[in-house]
Amino acid sequence: MKKPKIGIYGLTGCAGDQLNILNCEDELLKLFDIFEIKSFVMASSAADEEASLDVAFVEGSVSTEKDLEDLKEIRKKSKILVAMGHCAVFGGVQSMFVGEDWDKMYRKVYGKKRAVTLTKPLPPKPLAAYVKVDAVLPGCPIEKEPFLKLAGLLAKGVIPRHPDFPVCAECKWKENECLLLRGEMCMGPLTNSGCGAICPSLGIPCIGCWGPIEKENWEAEAFLLRERGFSVEDIVNRFAIFGGMERADKLRKFLEAKEE
Amino acid sequence: MRLFKLKRNNLFPFLRGLEGFGELWGPVRKGRKVVYARAKPEEFDLEALRTIIPAKKFFLPPRFTALKFRDNTWEDDYRPRRKVIFGLHPCEIHALNIYHRFYTRLFTDPYYERSKEATLIVGLSCVPDDHCFCYATGTSTVNEGFDLFLTDLGDRLLVWVGSPRGEESLKLVGKFLEDVEQKDISDYVAWRKRRDAAFKLKVDLDGMPEIVSFSYDSPVWEKMGRACLSCGTCTMVCPTCTCFDLEDEYDLKRAEMHRERFWYSCVFREYSMVAGGHNFREARSERLKLWYTHKLVGFMSEYGAPACVGCGRCVVSCPVGINVISVVRALRQERTTALWTKMEVKDA
Repeated sequence: MKKPKIGIYGLTGCAGDQLNILNCEDELLKLFDIFEIKSFVMASSAADEEASLDVAFVEGSVSTEKDLEDLKEIRKKSKILVAMGHCAVFGGVQSMFVGEDWDKMYRKVYGKKRAVTLTKPLPPKPLAAYVKVDAVLPGCPIEKEPFLKLAGLLAKGVIPRHPDFPVCAECKWKENECLLLRGEMCMGPLTNSGCGAICPSLGIPCIGCWGPIEKENWEAEAFLLRERGFSVEDIVNRFAIFGGMERADKLRKFLEAKEE
Repeated sequence: MRLFKLKRNNLFPFLRGLEGFGELWGPVRKGRKVVYARAKPEEFDLEALRTIIPAKKFFLPPRFTALKFRDNTWEDDYRPRRKVIFGLHPCEIHALNIYHRFYTRLFTDPYYERSKEATLIVGLSCVPDDHCFCYATGTSTVNEGFDLFLTDLGDRLLVWVGSPRGEESLKLVGKFLEDVEQKDISDYVAWRKRRDAAFKLKVDLDGMPEIVSFSYDSPVWEKMGRACLSCGTCTMVCPTCTCFDLEDEYDLKRAEMHRERFWYSCVFREYSMVAGGHNFREARSERLKLWYTHKLVGFMSEYGAPACVGCGRCVVSCPVGINVISVVRALRQERTTALWTKMEVKDA
């Protein structure tokens, strides 16, 4: 079997997902062995951007026109596009402009003069807002094991889908006391599994960094947290951080409806 | 069934003696909760009632590799280590009996069978707390499903031998046991009376199959569905929940596929999803209805008993208070103060 050709790219983000691939030290040689890596600028400047790809891994959100151009190029030359990390899958922390006008926010941070001149900024969005995404690997940043599993299946020609159940399942498998029952602001029920419930296993409430599951019941979570005595503001802030673009939209509508 | 007694100060040597069978596991404190863990007899919490996860974890672990395959060959190397599980209460053993029927009746699950083969079950009596309701489910005493069962009478414990394997284990620990006398029996009867009087949580399960069946269109389900977080905790902590899923993974280092088997939950949205993206139970209320119908109706007609043993785990585990007690009370149109019943009121 011919080695699948892959590229690993980053748009706007912290590059932590690419870094975590390089952190797979024990498996790195194996990874380089089963894939033909055409582009991975963080690891090597010798990139071949002319080659067509079997799989492209893309991290970061689309936050500039340059990001969008790059993404469209990558999409065009790749059979399979994997959105990797919270920014690429959900839009990242930068997409949580809840209830605020994005232009106004931009001016507040960068001033009227538009300090960024290299490329035109856009409201940050996940990859799927612009192109077809074939597989997702959530996480902020991605975890080593889930990445290796995904890469392994892709090498075998399987396009894996991320399981749609909350991290509470993994938390119970590890026999942790439920932090919601202890009165903590835990985002477990709304949050994708895959991390192995790292934080709750250490007694730290989930902040939702793997992003929301599909059809999350955030109304019930908000109701429960209100019952536990948390303020609307604290709840909205927590929901917004890793809620991604879609939840930010829902929250905004929810808040607007309340004000009316 | 043979009956012996064991002096209190011989309990730890007795348990250590059982280690001749395999690793010793039992209830151990974890923060404010209890889990079954491998430990020394001195570390066991003899007063503990319900562990976070029930003993089903010994028979089919939350997640394990069921098959490994490469090219045209496959290997199933699931070999559970031999274990003595100490401290299982009657409800827990009843649940394991349900588990056993489920996993052996039509087809014997090979993984279950191997775990069962490798396990010595040592039960322990208990006194109920505010969340126990095994009295209502008829599971407060147990006559089968254990190898040894200990009833704690204070200065001594009564030891029932419940199986040929239990008899066999006497070779290891028989030296600690003594014959029972009339006084032991009368003390046991008195203990039973005290224990039975200690149940505080009253719930009436009589007629539940009919009530659940005729409540198919009850607004209770919709109301519950609005508050359900679909976190799956109820099914993970329920000692009679058996559902699992399978997933293939590729192990890069060993260059082989692994078929992973893990606990799954009918309250998850994908549980009832089929090819083409169709979902038989898209609504949370439909999924909850399935769970309760299965526990209180479906199991009744299939096995003659509800799939609830009154352990109270759902009662202490659901963040919004959806549990057998509150659901049964709501369906019987009795008063319940569970958190989920308040959600709509708050919104209005």
